[in-house]
Amino acid sequence: MTNLEKYINTFVETFKIEASETEDLEYQAIPAWDSVGHMTLIAALEETFDIMMDTEDIINFSSFEKGKEIMAKYDVEF
Amino acid sequence: MEFKRTIIRTLSILGQRGAFGYALTEIAKINDEIIALTADLCTTSGLDRFKNAYPERVVNVGIAEQNMIGIAAGMSSLGYIPFATTFANFAALRSCEQMRHFMGYMEENIKIVGFGGGFAMGMFGITHYGIEDIASIRSISNITILSPADGLETAKATIAASQFKGPVYLRLTGVMNHPIVYKEDYEFEIGKAIQLKDGCDIAIFSTGGMVHQSLQAAKQLEDQGISCKVVNVHTIKPIDKVAIYKALDTKLIVTVEEHSIIGGLGSTVAEVLSEIKEKPPQLTIGVSGEYKPAGSYEFMLEQYGLTNNHISEKILEKYREAI
Repeated sequence: MTNLEKYINTFVETFKIEASETEDLEYQAIPAWDSVGHMTLIAALEETFDIMMDTEDIINFSSFEKGKEIMAKYDVEF
Repeated sequence: MEFKRTIIRTLSILGQRGAFGYALTEIAKINDEIIALTADLCTTSGLDRFKNAYPERVVNVGIAEQNMIGIAAGMSSLGYIPFATTFANFAALRSCEQMRHFMGYMEENIKIVGFGGGFAMGMFGITHYGIEDIASIRSISNITILSPADGLETAKATIAASQFKGPVYLRLTGVMNHPIVYKEDYEFEIGKAIQLKDGCDIAIFSTGGMVHQSLQAAKQLEDQGISCKVVNVHTIKPIDKVAIYKALDTKLIVTVEEHSIIGGLGSTVAEVLSEIKEKPPQLTIGVSGEYKPAGSYEFMLEQYGLTNNHISEKILEKYREAI
């Protein structure tokens, strides 16, 4: 599985959505991506990619696309 | 409730407030009697998801903490289990008389959740810091005081409070991305302190967010050849006397808390030690002296000497005097 597939899959499993719904997804755009869902997503991404995110990055992780930029800081390339 | 590794990390990222909201929402799924009350701080209390799931079980009383305790008492008398949330200092100081009457005297089954214990409210300033809450509530009879060490323990303390018959004050400390003390699930029992690390020279009793700092301080002291026991006192009242008795063979007893050194954990331990003839000296580390300028959480811990480096330095100095 590529990093992108793993990344998409984490959104799909955390929020119980289809992969096709992930691309334009933003924080609080769906009920599942609320504040608790956000932290659940971050914990799942950390587990998937074996990283630990800084508080600032957790706060700035505002969308699927923005998340890709942040993941790059932790050497997760897409 | 099952606490897998990712859930434990989620609770850590959420911080104690978010962990409380997460746990309460889970408990509410299986217990219809759970009601959440808040004094104009629904989101800040970590109750967003609870409110969305159970809008009819949330009461926002507005900025009226004293009324909130009265409403909670009424609900309790009808058989509900009200969790009333506000900042620690507003609960303990503004609503002190209502807590005394309804929780202390009438022993209503109310759970007060005081968040922002210590310096967690950062830039909100001194008016929002909770540094006298344990002292005031501890002097009221019949109120159990819980002070969890991390996100997981907050969830476990919330569950325990919901199952416990009687008034509880749940004190929450720290900010988001709270350091993890417990990496896996464990047994939590109200009134039973947990030894996290064994040691023979010094016994450190710590509570809330200071538990992680104390573990780090103990590690620094170990590097200097001083063996430290670290005990997590998640229940301040009733205090686990046996845990304190077990420290009598050490050369120094230390208490660490994000609270005034008057009336909190240090005082509680001192009260237990006062009943004993032969005992080691005690060092009480906490908030003392004048109110200092407000700032970020980290800045405040630094100012008051509550970082692991400051804690280990203070302990080392006292230990050298004691031996």
